[in-house]
Amino acid sequence: MTRPAPSLDVRIGSLALRNPVLVASGIIGYGAEYERLVDLSAIGGIVTKTVTRRARAGNPPPRVVETPSGMLNSIGIENPGLEGFLETKVPILSQLPCAVIVSVEGEDVREFCELVEGVSGSGVAHAIEVNISCPNVGPHGMRYSTDADMAREVMTAIRPLTSLPLIAKLTPNVTRIADIAVACESCGADAVSLVNTFVGMAVDSVTRKPILGTVLGGLSGPAIKPLALAKTWEVVQAVDIPVIGMGGITHPRDALEFLLVGSTAVQVGTALFANPSLPEDCVNEIETYLRRSDLASIGDLIGALEVPVAPRARRGSAS
Amino acid sequence: MNLVACSVVDNREITPGNFLLTLKVPRGFSRPEPGQFVHLRVSPEVEPLLRRPYSLEGFFERGNLRAVRIYYSVVGRGSKVLSAQPKGQRLDLIGPLGLGFSPRPRRVPILVAGGRGVAPLLFFARKLRQKKRPFIFLFGARGARELYGVREIKGGRLHLATDDGSVGYHGSVLTLLEREWESGEHTPLTAEVFTCGPHGLLHGIAELARANGIRCEASLEGPMACAVGACRGCPVPLRAGAVENGGRYPAMCLEGPVMDATIVDWDRLP
Repeated sequence: MTRPAPSLDVRIGSLALRNPVLVASGIIGYGAEYERLVDLSAIGGIVTKTVTRRARAGNPPPRVVETPSGMLNSIGIENPGLEGFLETKVPILSQLPCAVIVSVEGEDVREFCELVEGVSGSGVAHAIEVNISCPNVGPHGMRYSTDADMAREVMTAIRPLTSLPLIAKLTPNVTRIADIAVACESCGADAVSLVNTFVGMAVDSVTRKPILGTVLGGLSGPAIKPLALAKTWEVVQAVDIPVIGMGGITHPRDALEFLLVGSTAVQVGTALFANPSLPEDCVNEIETYLRRSDLASIGDLIGALEVPVAPRARRGSAS
Repeated sequence: MNLVACSVVDNREITPGNFLLTLKVPRGFSRPEPGQFVHLRVSPEVEPLLRRPYSLEGFFERGNLRAVRIYYSVVGRGSKVLSAQPKGQRLDLIGPLGLGFSPRPRRVPILVAGGRGVAPLLFFARKLRQKKRPFIFLFGARGARELYGVREIKGGRLHLATDDGSVGYHGSVLTLLEREWESGEHTPLTAEVFTCGPHGLLHGIAELARANGIRCEASLEGPMACAVGACRGCPVPLRAGAVENGGRYPAMCLEGPVMDATIVDWDRLP
């Protein structure tokens, strides 16, 4: 007897995804760059390179350096700005055979508002990821997701401006990420996505110089997966809205781990550079896992982590 | 540009630390131009995490067989892991990528190579010979041992330089180029320069080209993450006021690796 194929569709607010595998912002540009390498019709969707109010040339080189099991980057959100995005990228994005989540980042609340209105009005976005966590654009980058009050301020301001699902992308560079997630939830975020990169640094002892042009950068790749899983787990305990987990997914089974921890969807990032079929492989792995485990739908997998003892309190309870 | 499977036909250390890698590629791999590169997974393992960009030293077709050749030095983790890949090892690559050399008709190409930067210029010289176009090849290296491929350079006039004086002119290949230009045989309308090598050398060549109004293309090298223009991780700084600058950073992977050497800001290029 053949069973029906397990259902992989998930919902992020009003956005229905055919499966929970997305490509993270900053990885795949606007989709077209990877047209011949990634089968977008097989995955849930992509998150675009972050759009800022004005065009940005990005940071001086070097912008990337490989570290053990990881990559440090300091791109600095090179992008054509909102007008350039609407003119040159929207026509490309409207052709993609998957959900399009547009990432936006503002220097202040007003810019966030203008971006959300502009992107929402373009009609191309299925959801907006609010990047309040970029470590590479100067002091304003992470400000809105390292301070719960400021996160509340930006989410409160943009919520009335669009009916699209709003996904707040969080930085892990905080003491208690759950506090920020709760703040975003209370101000109308439909979901939170995490983690953005961990602030890191690489030094060349021969030249006595930092390797990145901006000294500090953001660490991604398999090195951060255990950290990202822990942050995801922490946030899942704290909010009722969907959590989109990411950070170091390199093998398809890594995607399962984020789902088990309670992510409703996952984003694939850095490892796609080496393996463009990784997002599709993740979809196949999830489907195979559901079949093998005799589960009818992905809902049975999300948050199905079996914790042998009650999860310990956030801090200081054990050693 | 495609993601294609490839396998190691040969991976030989020809001089200490310098390897010649031959990879069999499928027919889905389109014919590359000299100066183009491939983004190679250097091992079937997850580490190193990123692919490595390599200019092609050559492309060969015999019957149904297609192969690319890469000349590389062991300089870091990626190249070290690559040097350990045995014959028959299956890898994959994305390519051919980027912009190659674009010679103008009726001008004498002067090819200037520094060290392992000779790789794309050997590919280029082979193509010029096929087209029966005369060229001048100036090749500098630390010593005679590093003059990889000299015997393969045919159909052009060849001059060598070594830092240790073991072969040819004792000094920099830049001086060879200066002499070539000062011979009075060339003008910016009759000759142009194509170069690849250490960025310090390329900087010097670019200055010479700019001062004399010579068209000059240089093949650049640098770390890349995606190599297809998506991640914006390989910016090339341009000189202030250079044509098309406007404060932007062209991506080395898309608008290079071969670029107009006279618009690059070599002081800010790592």
